[in-house]
Amino acid sequence: MSVVDTSDGGRPGARDIVVWDPLVRLIHWSLALSILLNSTVIDGESAPHEWIGYVAVGLIGTRLIWGLLGSQHARLSAFPPSPVAALRHLVALSKDDKTVYLSHNPLGALMVYNIWLTVLLLGVTGYMMGTIRFFGVEWVEEAHEIAFNWLLVSIALHVGGVVFDSWWSGVPLVRAMLDGRKRVPKDRSVVK
Amino acid sequence: MTLAAIIVLQALCAIFFIGDVIADLRGGEHLDDLHLILEAVAALALTMGVIYLMHELRDLLNRMAAMEFGIRAARGEMANLIDAFFTQWQLTPSERDIAHLVLKGIDNDSIADMRGTAQSTVRAQCTRIYAKADVDGRAQFLSIFMEELLHAGDEKQSQA
Repeated sequence: MSVVDTSDGGRPGARDIVVWDPLVRLIHWSLALSILLNSTVIDGESAPHEWIGYVAVGLIGTRLIWGLLGSQHARLSAFPPSPVAALRHLVALSKDDKTVYLSHNPLGALMVYNIWLTVLLLGVTGYMMGTIRFFGVEWVEEAHEIAFNWLLVSIALHVGGVVFDSWWSGVPLVRAMLDGRKRVPKDRSVVK
Repeated sequence: MTLAAIIVLQALCAIFFIGDVIADLRGGEHLDDLHLILEAVAALALTMGVIYLMHELRDLLNRMAAMEFGIRAARGEMANLIDAFFTQWQLTPSERDIAHLVLKGIDNDSIADMRGTAQSTVRAQCTRIYAKADVDGRAQFLSIFMEELLHAGDEKQSQA
């Protein structure tokens, strides 16, 4: 019986690694809330819809700056958008590879950029709909609508990916986005 | 978390002011208008503030990570130190276990329960441990390690 070994917080078989800093978490959940509000309870024609849209774009802008200045796992360079890496990750999955990524895994990274771009596109087309020049222009409204539908698909995939990866890698990802710590099972190889 | 919240709020304010300045400029106002100058300065100050706070937050996070690392290292050091003492006193494996439990502040009754032995056995083993460590009893036994901790602190201070 070893009484002194408490290095992993007394939880055998796993170690906690701090990955998501407070700013990342706050922006993540604020963005999720703004999307939820704007797509459900807030009327699409109303002023609050516009304001929440601006906030969402602002959140992403802040996150992008933090992606340049921020902490190790928050940096954009920690999860570059790479379709090749994503494909390799898929192949690795099929070979029963359970490597844990401390930042986003390559597939998750693509989803991050996809959601940011989609929300930015929603913001831009939404802004254009409010300008005199593009008011009532059909393709702008259609683009806004298509971007929104794509956002819904993306979020479904995002949530599905989180559920799958939590089960596959054994790292509870939702908890990681809540308290910032990834609980990594001890026998896993880890990629920074 | 507070700092992060302030950064987000301030960033949103900065974007609001920047947007407002741009809208005013396009609305035909010029930079020589005092109101617009003030707004532009506010926008600039807010943006600089956001970047500065981000730097601060990153430094804070780095410092916290370094401290946690230090604490873990210190904890490991302490465990090594304790083991070194136990080896020096030539404690048997079961005596080591009991000594660890004693250091954790667990009383003899509970130790006996945990190990499934009689209280008298634990008492006898404790007596042997104290004899090997050349101390009078539990308090003095604990003070050996306390002394070591305080001592280490002194050395650090005199070095600094």
